Amino acid sequence: MILVIVILTSIGLACAMLIFIMNKVLPAEPEALKKTEKIAEYLPGVNCGACGLPGCFAYAQALAKDKDLITTNPCMAVLQDEKMLGDLERMLDIKIDSSSMNKKAVVCCTGDPETISNYSGIETCKSASKLTSGFKKCPYGCLGFGDCAKVCPQDAIQIYAASGRNIAVVDPEKCTGCGLCVKECPNNLIKLVPADTKIVFLCSYDSIKDIPGREKCFRGCLHCRKCYKACEHDAIIWNKEKGIPEFDSAKCTLCGACIEVCPHDKLIELSKVTPEDKKEYKEKEKVGSK
Amino acid sequence: MAVINNLVLSKFLGLCPFFGVSKKLTNAISMGAAVTLVMLIASLSTSVIYNYILIPFNVEFMNIIIYILVIASLVQIVELTIRRTNIALYNALGIYLPLITTNCAVLGITLINAKEGYSIIESMVSALGAGIGFTLVLIIMSGIREKLEVSDCPKAMRGLPIAFITAALLALAFLGFSGMM
Repeated sequence: MILVIVILTSIGLACAMLIFIMNKVLPAEPEALKKTEKIAEYLPGVNCGACGLPGCFAYAQALAKDKDLITTNPCMAVLQDEKMLGDLERMLDIKIDSSSMNKKAVVCCTGDPETISNYSGIETCKSASKLTSGFKKCPYGCLGFGDCAKVCPQDAIQIYAASGRNIAVVDPEKCTGCGLCVKECPNNLIKLVPADTKIVFLCSYDSIKDIPGREKCFRGCLHCRKCYKACEHDAIIWNKEKGIPEFDSAKCTLCGACIEVCPHDKLIELSKVTPEDKKEYKEKEKVGSK
Repeated sequence: MAVINNLVLSKFLGLCPFFGVSKKLTNAISMGAAVTLVMLIASLSTSVIYNYILIPFNVEFMNIIIYILVIASLVQIVELTIRRTNIALYNALGIYLPLITTNCAVLGITLINAKEGYSIIESMVSALGAGIGFTLVLIIMSGIREKLEVSDCPKAMRGLPIAFITAALLALAFLGFSGMM
């Protein structure tokens, strides 16, 4: 018994000594590797893969080789965080203009409880959308099984199930604009908008896709142009082809006139697309529809 | 050892790297090289320990725990050495070296050496054979999988499922070699 302990301990000690000696004897680490490791420290380390490289360390390696990569293929999570961005700028000795590259994901649907059938299959949006383009009345509506929430590395997407309207909501505070959810949504409801966008339009239903109107979704865009007429700052451009409003955030003053007039509450300030606001806003709508 | 008693296909050791790293030919070759290298070093040191420490003190039952200890620290040292001296080789082997620290194929071959009572030279030879066999299977598998990627395969079978079936067929084919003995 004691013999066993002695042998095991001595072998362990011998191994430890060997590693220690090797560590001292061998020359110091090459510069390039050190630099890569330092860069990797400033990256978020969530390994979301949105940059197209396998993990943050691979991105750091690529950055060490070519520092322009931060502008050509930026890490969205870094651009979100001012401290991280500052550290990385100092590290790489480069100036990054983050405002033009920063993006946020928005789920362009306010949710509709009306269904055309009962779906009891596999609970993912992908499989539900394969059956007659979904069980919701609107073929472009959010199915609410949360395929997007599952892929989000930041946990920024939540599903709100209030009043039978399962709907995904992206929290713009947490969203880094990596775009993983955009690829995941089978109905292509999630759009990446520039982070300085002021007003977002929460409907994916435009006149190109199908006949406009209420028969598909009670809360769909009516293409009534009220918002366009209400805007006093020429910040809304009416897209005639699609029949939907488009926004010029440079001119928008966030006066809220368009939000006010929209009969179906399709417009909302980007900073207010938080789950809490959405919940409130849903309750309001519910009362309205009765 | 390379073909007849192939580690992957007849002893079913080291299956995780076999499926994990056999998607691309280049990865498979680096992984095979790393595993062969570690197997050689591990077999050398463990057979020295087995023959000159464990047998004289009559504590052969301790071999698994001591082997894990020795192999893990050896891999650390090898990684350290390669990283500090040859950066090109380090980039080529990359993440595979730390991955195989306690790979079951490496531990398996040292335990087989102990079970068969091989001497130091014999265990080195068997480790070399096992390493070559492992690399061979990895290369064959990655070659097949590269072709499978572009083949018209039912959607449900794509990826791992078809790889498992391929592996089973490969194992059957390798079984034929044991008849040649």
